[in-house]
Amino acid sequence: MIVAQGLTKRYGDKTAVDGVDFTVPSGTVTGFLGPNGAGKSTTMRMILGLDRPSAGDVTVNGKRYAQLAAPLHEVGALLDAKAMHGGRTAYNHLRWLAASNRLPRRRVDEVIAMVGLGEVARKPAKGFSLGMGQRLGIAAAMLGDPGVLMFDEPVNGLDPEGILWIRNLMKQLASEGRTVFVSSHLMSEMALTAEHLVVIGRGRILAETDMVTFINQNSTNYVRVRSPQQEALRDLLHAEGLQTSANGDGSLRVEGANTVRIGDAAGQAGIWLHELTLVQSSLEEAFMRLTADSVEYHAGVPGGVAGAVPGAVPAAGAGAVPGAVPGAPPGAGPGTDPGATPGSAPQPGGVPGWGPPQAPGSRQEGK
Amino acid sequence: MTAATQVVNVPEGDSVPEGRIGFGAFLNAEWIKIRTVRSTFWTLVSLAVVSIGLTVLICALSADSLAKDLAETPPDADAHPDELISVGVVFGQVAALVLGVMVMSSEYATGMIRATLTAMPRRTSVLVAKAVVLVALLFVIGTVVAFIGYFAGNAFFENKDIGVSLDSPGVTRALIGNGLYVAVLGLFGFALALLMRHTAGAITVGLAMIFVVGSLVSLLPGSWGDWVSKLMPGNAGGAVTAARQYDDSLLSPWVGFGVFCAEVGVLLVLGWWRFTRKDA
Repeated sequence: MIVAQGLTKRYGDKTAVDGVDFTVPSGTVTGFLGPNGAGKSTTMRMILGLDRPSAGDVTVNGKRYAQLAAPLHEVGALLDAKAMHGGRTAYNHLRWLAASNRLPRRRVDEVIAMVGLGEVARKPAKGFSLGMGQRLGIAAAMLGDPGVLMFDEPVNGLDPEGILWIRNLMKQLASEGRTVFVSSHLMSEMALTAEHLVVIGRGRILAETDMVTFINQNSTNYVRVRSPQQEALRDLLHAEGLQTSANGDGSLRVEGANTVRIGDAAGQAGIWLHELTLVQSSLEEAFMRLTADSVEYHAGVPGGVAGAVPGAVPAAGAGAVPGAVPGAPPGAGPGTDPGATPGSAPQPGGVPGWGPPQAPGSRQEGK
Repeated sequence: MTAATQVVNVPEGDSVPEGRIGFGAFLNAEWIKIRTVRSTFWTLVSLAVVSIGLTVLICALSADSLAKDLAETPPDADAHPDELISVGVVFGQVAALVLGVMVMSSEYATGMIRATLTAMPRRTSVLVAKAVVLVALLFVIGTVVAFIGYFAGNAFFENKDIGVSLDSPGVTRALIGNGLYVAVLGLFGFALALLMRHTAGAITVGLAMIFVVGSLVSLLPGSWGDWVSKLMPGNAGGAVTAARQYDDSLLSPWVGFGVFCAEVGVLLVLGWWRFTRKDA
């Protein structure tokens, strides 16, 4: 359990973290989501006592980090996998960490086996790939078998197998009753692992909620409809009481999930349709919308945020989620609570990817 | 990849050992750290090779002329074999300074300081543990190296019947003083690294203080120039390493060493103040 109260960090006149309050409960994976520069890493560093808060307080298991009697037994953290001496072997790196908290040397062998670094453990860490570095960082975090685990952008730079491994590991750790706090700037990644969400932007908490609620509140549906008789169609839809707007590419955007109603109305009026697509905005888009005002560094993309989101294309969801490996059930909808079966060790490829109910099939509704 | 099944099943810190992790664990961790990087090995090897090699070389080359000078009647008053029995440390000390710097600056250079402070959040204790390990290692190595240099170099003097015995005034003090000096010099580098957080910067400043500034200030005019020269860290601390003082303007061995310790102590306190208050 991690509790932050009014946690603030200022660097000169720049406020990196601005009075945030949040609670990271045990037994679930809590996603810490925010754009780059939102204050995620600074917050995590304050939790670990590396940075001193300018104001406010954060505790782990009811204590400030520095007051933990044996920190590695209570908290494991992966902040920066490369934060180790490159000339030292992985084994020796873990050995001094173990010694610092009076952990038996056999734990070092255990965590090395656990992360699968057995073959390279006696080699200097400077030769490690990013993925090997991440695994070593996770081994270090698991050394004391802690009840609280923190991972800062753990899947960055990993190959698909590594990503899957970390996802499953986090879910399993949470299912064992541990507190798992994982930061990411990818909503899609969080959707696959986290049950609880803390969204941060420009140092402020934008949302603290469970994943299902977040999805329900933030995902919107609309129908894209294209017709050679666009004027007539628009008048018809207005007459039906539907809200429309021009999509800019010659199609109309109709708010709400009304493909049947639109199709029927057009049919009765004898209006030809060339496209009728239900578009469900992705979580990524919802996240972008939420943090739109708080992004630190805007790329100069014309057309605003929503339109620029890759995930906003039709059939967003399972297919658009990076790492939703082939074989993920396409129809796993919002009703499939991500991670609702923690500890069930999801099969590779069978990770319940979150996707809209009609994901790839939605095109079939076009006439 | 196998999952974590076999190793993890104790949530919420049930495995916390009784009481607080003590200072001994920190010492142990820092001892493992200093032993498991090659830079430690190589700096200590160069400390030994340069110190012993230089002492032996100078003793071997000067034994003959010293023997002649001492055979004159009356003997040459400036011929002192005991001046030379630990002369190698004058250059060997560079390695001790470098090791002291690296022990701290490598933590910042690699980012490992975050792992260190996550595992050991009590910063003052971490600092003391690091310093104790560094000082103990350098003292032992420095003293052993000085004794080896003495025995090897003195063999050439013995050969010419001008040997310096361990009982001669100042000899044992000088050899142990070698260990003490390189240990505190290591701390000097450690403190500089703590303040600058930068390897090359700290080594440069350290070497400049010992070798360049230490010599240049003797050019300052008047008695205050003499005093500045006396008080420079290398000049003050170095006196304890020689059995006979070859430069009368220096402070006496123990007074000088005390001044050196005080200077390093001030730097350490500044470094500690910064280390315990600033973000890592």
